[in-house]
Amino acid sequence: MLTSIRAELIKQTRRPANWLLLAIAAVLTLTFAYAIPYAGLSSGPSGAPGSGRGLPSMLPEAFVGNALGGVPIFVGALALVFGVLVAGSEYGFQTWKTVLAQRPSRFTAYGSKLAVVAIANLIGVLTLFAAAAGGSAAVAALEGAPMNWPSAGDIVLGMGVGWLVMTMWGACGALLGIAFRSVALPIGLGLVWMLAIQNLLASIAAPALEFVGELQKVLPGPNTGALAAAMGAASETPGVDALVGSGHATIVVAGYLVAFCALGGWLMHRRDIL
Amino acid sequence: MTNSAVAVAVDGLRVIRGGREVLRSVSFDVPRGSVTGLLGPSGCGKTTLMRAIVGVQIVAGGTVTVLGQPAGDPLLRDKIGYATQNAAVYADLTVTECLTYFASVLRVDDPAADARRVIADVDLTDHAGKLVGNLSGGQRGRASLAVALLGTPELLVLDEPTVGLDPVLRDDLWTLFHRIAERGTTLLVSSHVMDEAARCDRLLLMREGVLLADDTPEGLRAHTEQSDLEQAFLRLVRESEAAA
Repeated sequence: MLTSIRAELIKQTRRPANWLLLAIAAVLTLTFAYAIPYAGLSSGPSGAPGSGRGLPSMLPEAFVGNALGGVPIFVGALALVFGVLVAGSEYGFQTWKTVLAQRPSRFTAYGSKLAVVAIANLIGVLTLFAAAAGGSAAVAALEGAPMNWPSAGDIVLGMGVGWLVMTMWGACGALLGIAFRSVALPIGLGLVWMLAIQNLLASIAAPALEFVGELQKVLPGPNTGALAAAMGAASETPGVDALVGSGHATIVVAGYLVAFCALGGWLMHRRDIL
Repeated sequence: MTNSAVAVAVDGLRVIRGGREVLRSVSFDVPRGSVTGLLGPSGCGKTTLMRAIVGVQIVAGGTVTVLGQPAGDPLLRDKIGYATQNAAVYADLTVTECLTYFASVLRVDDPAADARRVIADVDLTDHAGKLVGNLSGGQRGRASLAVALLGTPELLVLDEPTVGLDPVLRDDLWTLFHRIAERGTTLLVSSHVMDEAARCDRLLLMREGVLLADDTPEGLRAHTEQSDLEQAFLRLVRESEAAA
């Protein structure tokens, strides 16, 4: 398994698309957590969401929440795209059969992909935290504010939350890639769910229908938003809402992670390789 | 033929795909160290038969024994090299990166060195640093063939490896196949081009999921009383149609 993980990891590092996804995640986090709010700070609140958050929300003390603010929506979506690329591209290149005709079993091949998704998302969350820390330090330096950092425990906990959410969406992407045996359709459907349907459910269906409101508590998106909120992400950020407690959200998100991994493995084991 | 002399033993193999019986009770043996050609028109079941031998095809009946083990057995994984009909390589990696990845997965001692060896075998050294996606169709096919040559496979299953190649390169590859067979490796090579049949030690001729002949080229010529192997194949087809 370790050999397959190492080979898979090296292969993924050679792919420019993966580095592009990471760069986009970092740039978007810096843009929406620091650049736009800071511009709004100097020009005065415009009434737009996030424009009136104030200086304290951009200082180092709050950087954990800022690093996680985009995780429920756009960073999660990018993690899903990554998961699809890792598993689904093997169908596009018709390389599953080449890999499986070599030494690794289906379990090993699939397990190595999940391991790479988990490792890559750890790199991703470290990058987001480094970017957010840099952004908050820059704001503090520009404004002459104190550099009060959160405790190491809070930072590690925040990283754990970010990793859990991103890996859950990455595993979802891998499952979709395997289920649809392709790349384009899983990415399209995954993004429609994450960026459109989840928001429609939260903003239109849930206020109108009580059962949808209850359903929200067991769907992955709202629970990732609750986790981000529990770690200090600004409540006006799209997708961030303390709908449930952090303990409940952790269990639900971890449950989805396990379910996505297991279902993908079952499909891999069960179906013919085209 | 003793078991140790047989690399592949197929007995009563049936495969159903999409509700259609693609292979109908196919039986044959492939001798070790031979170059066996699997020939027949497109859609006759060659690829399905090769997939069954490699162990990636769900079968409806019969048995496939490869190097003494049931097809698909984990013990066979590093003993079989398989090149698919369509190039199955990563278009977004270079030839070297791609081959090194597959060599690593195969756990060869020195993946980089083995990748260089097979790249040279398929005459792609000048293109080793190019993205696979930027190669021509024939070059991509050779990169895919190189994957099958990694390590020290005892059985090479090559699905139409010479399609789209120029005559010189085809000749080079057939020379390479025989050189590999001389080292004791068994090769099963499919083709729908009958003029490649004469380059094989043995021939398996298929049509519509049925094995029409399992013979040497000389035996086939003698049996059908035809000097041309394409005519011999046509004679067999007509005989089978008359018998039906």
